Formats: sequence, structure tokens, C-alpha cells
Amino acid sequence: MKQAVDERFLISPFLVFFIVHATQVGVGVLGFQRPLMKEAGQDAWMAVLLAGLAAHALIWLMYRLLAYSPSDGDIVSLHEHYFGRWFGGVLSTGLLFYYALAAFTVLQSYIEIIKVWVFPLMGAWQFSLIFLVLTYYVVSGGFRVVASLCFWGVVIPLVTIFPMLFFSLEYAQYRNLLPVFDHSPAQIIKAANDMALQYLGFEMLLMYYPFLKNAPSSQKWAHAANALTTFIYLTVMFISIIFYNKEQIEHVTWPTLTLAKIPQVPFIERMEYIVISIYVLVVFPIIAVSVWAATRIAKQLFSVRQRRSLPVLLACLFIGTLFFQEKTAIERLMQWTAKVGFSVIAVYVPLLYVYVWTAEKVKKALQQKP
Amino acid sequence: MRRGLLWLGALLLLGGCASSRPIDEIQIIQQMGYDFEDNHYVGTAVYPTFKQGSMTKPNMLTTSSPTVYDLIPRLSSKSALPIEEGQLRLILFGKQFAERGIEQITHSLARNNKVGSHLFLGVAEGSAKELLEITAKTTLSDTLYLPNLVKQNEQSMNLPKTNLHLFLYRYFSPGSDPFLPYFEKKGEFVKLEGVALFRDGRYVGRVSLRDSFLMKILLGETKNGVYQLKVGERGKQGEDRVMLQNLWAKPTYRWKRDGNRHTLDVSVHIHASVKDYPSWLDEPGANLFADVKKKMEKELEQNMRRLFRYFQEKRIDPLGIGDFVRSVTRQWDRESFYREYPDLDIRPRVTVDIIHTGIGE
Repeated sequence: MKQAVDERFLISPFLVFFIVHATQVGVGVLGFQRPLMKEAGQDAWMAVLLAGLAAHALIWLMYRLLAYSPSDGDIVSLHEHYFGRWFGGVLSTGLLFYYALAAFTVLQSYIEIIKVWVFPLMGAWQFSLIFLVLTYYVVSGGFRVVASLCFWGVVIPLVTIFPMLFFSLEYAQYRNLLPVFDHSPAQIIKAANDMALQYLGFEMLLMYYPFLKNAPSSQKWAHAANALTTFIYLTVMFISIIFYNKEQIEHVTWPTLTLAKIPQVPFIERMEYIVISIYVLVVFPIIAVSVWAATRIAKQLFSVRQRRSLPVLLACLFIGTLFFQEKTAIERLMQWTAKVGFSVIAVYVPLLYVYVWTAEKVKKALQQKP
Repeated sequence: MRRGLLWLGALLLLGGCASSRPIDEIQIIQQMGYDFEDNHYVGTAVYPTFKQGSMTKPNMLTTSSPTVYDLIPRLSSKSALPIEEGQLRLILFGKQFAERGIEQITHSLARNNKVGSHLFLGVAEGSAKELLEITAKTTLSDTLYLPNLVKQNEQSMNLPKTNLHLFLYRYFSPGSDPFLPYFEKKGEFVKLEGVALFRDGRYVGRVSLRDSFLMKILLGETKNGVYQLKVGERGKQGEDRVMLQNLWAKPTYRWKRDGNRHTLDVSVHIHASVKDYPSWLDEPGANLFADVKKKMEKELEQNMRRLFRYFQEKRIDPLGIGDFVRSVTRQWDRESFYREYPDLDIRPRVTVDIIHTGIGE
């Protein structure tokens, strides 16, 4: 059995709010409207709401699951406890790969945006090098540094990027929202299914749970973070519905960035470049948290110090970015990661919970028998 | 020491990555013209050259090519400095070019991350090149003459709002068609002459600047615009007109089923100020304005009906009536709506409130 984390490495429960929110909102918010509006048109906002509620349920489930973990441990000790060293280890390794993949996808898709909008002539490796060196700096500082990065990754974009989107209401066509419920429930649920991927990110909680002081009390903060995420997605969705029409949005790759073309101030005419630059602060915490989570699994499983595994993982990510250049390849990668993430969080976690729950029941029943 | 060297190395390595473009080493295009002449596309770019202080002089580059996409690279071959299109403010299409369709250009603009959404588009009678030449010649330091002309007229006069975003919005919308400002050459001047109408990206007709006032109101833009109305038969020329200035207007559309046909009721409420009116209306005591109001309403209704009929004949929908009907119909069917559209019964009803007549009586 592993020891509980030393108290000086712990963080306050309310910081979960920033970590969960920072990891949920990523590159997806720039372009999630397209598939949703294709499926559900002006009713797409309902799908956003539905998926948000589903995420609430999954967060609740995750807290219930982690409560079973021995001595406030993480998912790795949970796996070990219920599946034994070997099979549990295999499951945890799978999770390690998933976290690494998540970091890689976010990095890759942000690099793509920079390349398309700002620096078309630069190679991907230059950005990924800068990014990964920064990640090394942050993650080697430990979880508390990662958490504080998440804090700024929430606050700064919220006060700078978010208000910019409201400028586009100058061109609002409110009738685009009508008629409400013009799509079948099946279409809306299918759109909600697409939307669910945008809420991913809170599954990192499975790893940093032991780092929370008085962890169960942090649940309300995780829910609050998810509520804020839902609110932001909902606002962006509403603005996009009244700003674009259904056909037009099909021709826009990143509708949210194109929205940011509308505000104009005398000294900067094109705000979307500012948005893209500030977006580093949105993307960076996700990469840092997932890289941290991956190295943490490596430490728990193989007793490799994070300082050792970190450079290896970052090198792998760096080499990976050299191979993905084409837009279609990156898109396929994103879809694939989304599928994996979806099955981890919406299929694997509930199944695991059911298994752990029945195992505990059976154990109790056996103990009560004389 | 080791850390310092590391930083120095990083700085040296990364410093080489910068690709800077200082402002005086690029050619900033501000206006662009597209024409189609003798089976060739002609592209015209207007760029400012900076002289002393704030003095700028518009300069032009022209080139022709058998294809559209080739124009900017070909312009480059005539320019000493690299061409940047990030500051484009206006793209002018010659009428012939617009009749052949401007989809190619607008699609490429929609994909171009460098141009802004506030870019104006416009149609020139005759050739765009000629118009741009005139503005370059007649304006001394204002290189943005045409874009400012459009902006001014949208903000305070009859022209409905247009820009790249709105053009694309209406172009892609299943329930509306785009329109653009229309310019004409008048002697040595360029004059805004109304609104050019498009069907599927092709120029099909235009309405006058006077009628664009009605378009502006019917599109739901609440403020600005002037409209001259004939209210009587007496007096000399010009003695029976009033000038109506729109202070606030609101259209309300209502979609009704009438047997197996549909009707569209359009009621427009205008708050107007009338400052210019003939002297016989000033007769003290007699309340002649009530009568004039009725006449104004009737004439506005008649003109709206004429405008609707023109759009129906041309089978275009710049007012977005289809989009309105979509918003009140479940499972709106575009095909069947536009099949019905040419003989749709559209009934405009106008109410004018004369808020004031200036500070004199």
C-alpha cells in the first residue's frame, strides 16, 4: 500500500474549481459549433445543456468511485486494490497512454491553429519545442505549480477573451433561434453525444485526487467548475447561432475565432490574433495537467521518479509532433482521441464503479457470514 | 553560469525564427478591383504611398490574367515590395464581372484569415478599374475615399448595412440573397447609386438609392435614412414634395395561411421628422398634416409593393423573407417556399408618426 501524499504538497479543495475548468475548456471551444449545428441546427444549445448535465453526473460518479480507493489514493491504487498488481497495472498503463495522448492532441491542434492563422511558414517543431520546455519547467515544479498555472489559465482568458465574443451581437439575428424544438429528440441526443467530448478533461481528477486537502469536500467545486464550463459553452453556442446561419457555419473552420474578427479598437484592428495569443494560457494548463498525470502514473506504477520520466515523455511528444503535419491527419487524431476519452470517462468509469460497488457488497456479505 | 549560457543559446536559436514585416517594407493594398474584359480578368490594387507626414498618395497597380486566382501573384510581379492584403477595406467588382458571378472571390475571402470581416464589397457600373482610377486621381490624401463613402452612407443615410460578414451570411443563408452597394461614374466623380442585387452570387439587378431606404427599413435597421415623397398636385415643380427623415422604424412580419395560399403581412411603423415641406402646409390653424400623413403612408405602401414585386419578378430575396418564414414554420422547406415566392401575396401597411417638424413652425 502506498503512503498518503505529504501535506505540504496538498492544495486547497477550492482550487479544484480552476483545475477542472482549465482542463475542460480547450481548443474544442473554438470549433465545437459546427458538428452540433449540422446535426441539431438552432436547437444545438439544448445538446450543450444535456451534455453538461451528463458531465455533472459523471463527476459525481467519479467522486463516489474515488471514495472507495484505499487511504485516499488515486485510480492507480484503486486498480491495484481491486484487480491485483498485474491486471491493475495494465489498466493503469492504459490510462497513462490516454493522458499522454490527450496532451499530444491538444498540443497538436493548437499548433495547427497558430500555423494557419499567425505563422504559416514556421515548422511545427519550433512551437512544440517551446511548449514542451515550458511544460518541463512547470511539471517539474510539482503539482502545486501546475494547479496555480490552472488558476491563471482560467482567470485571464475569462476576463480577456470571453467578453470579446459579445461584440458580435452587433450582427445578431435573433430569429435564428426560432423555431425552438424543430429537431427530433434523437437528433438532439446525437448532437449531445458529439458535445460530450468537449467536457472531457475532468478525468484528470482520477490522478490528482490524493493531492486535495480533505478531498471529498472538493466535490462541490468540481461541480461548480463544470457549471461554469456549461455556461461558457452555452453562451458561445447562443452567440454562434444568432451570428451565423446553419449553412454559413459549415464554411467556417473555427467559428469562435471568426467571431473574434468583429471587435475593432483603434490600435488593434484584428482581435483574433490577440485571442490566439492569449489562448496559450488556455491550452498550456491542459498539457501540463495531463503530462503531470501521466508521469504520476509512471511513478506510482514503476516507481520512476517524475523528474526522470518527464523528459522521456516530453521527448516522445516532441517526436510525435514531427509526424503530424496534414490537416486531415490532425483531424483524425482529434476524433480518435475524443473517442478514446469518451469511452474512458463514459464507459470505463461507470463500469469500474459498478464492479467496485458489487465487490464491496459481496465482501460485506461474506464478512457478515460467520 | 551554465543556466545563463543555456538562455543565451535559446535566444540565439529562437531569434532566427522571427519573420518580421516592417510597415515601410510592404505594399499594403487597401482597395482592390476586379473586372472582366475581353475574356480576361483584370485586377486593380490601390495602395497608399507615404510622403511627408500625413500626406499619402493613392497609387495603382493593374494586371490581367485568364484566371481570377492568378491576379495577386501577377500584381506581385509588378511591385517592388511584397503585397499584403491584411488592410483591405474595399473590393469593387465591375458589373460584367459581377454578372459572371463573384462566388470564387467570396469563397476565397471566406477562407482568407488575413482579411477582416468588416471589409466592404461593392459593384461598379462599367469597370471597377476606372472608378478606382477616378478616386485615386481626385482625392489628394484620402486613400480610403470609397470605403468611407460606404461607411458614411450606411451610418447616416439610406444604404443598408453591408460588409463581408453580412454578404457571406446572406449568401449562404437558405432564406435570403446578398446585396452590395452600387457605384456609378458621374463625370469626374464616383457616386453611390443604390444597391446591387445578387442571386447565387450573380448580379441580377439593382434598386435606386431612394428605394434602398425602404430596403433598409424592411431589413429591420431602425434608424436613419431620408425619403422624398409627393404629397400634392399643386404648386410648381418641387412645391408638392416633403422630405421625410427616419428617426425610428420597425417592421413586423406576419405569415398567414389563406386557404391554400400564403400571405405575408408587413406592417411598418415609422417615427419620422419632416423638416422640408412646401410652404402651403404652413397655413396656420388648418391641420393639413393629418391629410399629408395619409398621403405619405399611401405612397410608401405603394412603393413597397412595387419593390416587393420587383424582387419577386427577379426571384430574389434580399430582405430575407424566406429566413423569416423559416423562423415561424416547423420543418421549413426551402424548395416549396421559393416555388411559391414569385406569386406570394405580400401586403405592406405603413404607419407614419410625424414626431416633429424642426424648431420652426
